[in-house]
Amino acid sequence: MSLAILDGGTFYHHAAIHGPRYRALFDKIIYAPELAADALAGVTFLIVPDRINPNILRAKREVLIDFVKAGHTLVVLGENRADTWLPGVIWAARPTNFWWWLDKDARPPNRLLAPDHEFFRAVPFENTIWHFHGVLTPPAGARALIDVPADPEGRDSGGALLYEDRVTLPGRLLVATLDPFYHHGSHFMPAATKLLDGFLPWARQQAAA
Amino acid sequence: MKPGLALSFGYDDGSLRTFADARLQPDVVLRDIYSLPEIDLNDFSVLFISMHSDQRFLAARASQIENYLIRGGVVVANGHHAYPYLPRMAGFHTIDGYKLSDITVLRLVEHPIWHGIDPHDLTFRRGVSGFYGRVWHDAPPDALVIHALGHPGLPVDFIYPVGDGRVLFHGGNDLWTFGGEDRPLVPRIMQWVASGRNVQ
Repeated sequence: MSLAILDGGTFYHHAAIHGPRYRALFDKIIYAPELAADALAGVTFLIVPDRINPNILRAKREVLIDFVKAGHTLVVLGENRADTWLPGVIWAARPTNFWWWLDKDARPPNRLLAPDHEFFRAVPFENTIWHFHGVLTPPAGARALIDVPADPEGRDSGGALLYEDRVTLPGRLLVATLDPFYHHGSHFMPAATKLLDGFLPWARQQAAA
Repeated sequence: MKPGLALSFGYDDGSLRTFADARLQPDVVLRDIYSLPEIDLNDFSVLFISMHSDQRFLAARASQIENYLIRGGVVVANGHHAYPYLPRMAGFHTIDGYKLSDITVLRLVEHPIWHGIDPHDLTFRRGVSGFYGRVWHDAPPDALVIHALGHPGLPVDFIYPVGDGRVLFHGGNDLWTFGGEDRPLVPRIMQWVASGRNVQ
């Protein structure tokens, strides 16, 4: 009945995970290269933060998939190439537009599809909005929570930035393209900090439920 | 000159593509960071370490990195030094609630890598500040400090010796993403490595 998180060993994982703001929320911190099944004993909710080396995640895929097969929740954030190791994940790269917000009349393309979902009681939708790294196509039966329309330059037909999948495996997958650990841990984007301020206490609550 | 080596981290990131796009002679080879134990660093003229690197892993390889430096190797390291993987480095200092004046890039000395690049263009990218650096590091006492943030005493770019080698440390987003298309920094860094001049 505990919350665990993988630690990729970068400076921003160190700041975000081991820093005082969130440290007490995690029951277990597992250095990603050392992930093994027995490290997950008692864990019910596991976070794979953004930007863990995907070579490690591919090497550990069976441990991660078995964890979800046991009925638990796995959250996988952005830039982890989950499409190369997690069942059901289809991801298309889209060149990142870091600058959408510079035009004061600009509206972000992000759309809230599931305002009733409990996630948004913990994390206000506006705290999920920043640039994004590619789009996801949720598998049949999964629920997109946030999406964006087709790329204006025609490079993709749009897709989810966050989805919940309870059908591919016996447990629950939450898959996102967002990279809040990098931005919070780099001291570089207040929205990322606000997202984690809501998401991590919610994850802890979910782990204990 | 021997080729350079850049440690990759498993996903495609625009900053790593910079090395291939630069069409360098000699080139910069990309290898996954976790293959470091199987690599003889002495085959390379310079080791590039991205801000996205697993520093906990690098700290476990600190003696390999230090021995490479002592023998005359060059390390170009980026990000915040959170684990002790580089010799002679201390920690970093966050600037809580920073304002523009706290993260404005100040040039303390001229250096060929940044020659002709206005510090203003390092402070701002499309009018947005913060990409270049948001924390400051303690530089070793004999370091050549090139840029500071907000105050001359708060280093963000510096070069210091280790044995016959030297470290170019940049405490922010990967250095090779700056300079723009007309003044890319990677070829300049390679020229600086090739010139082999002591410390500077």
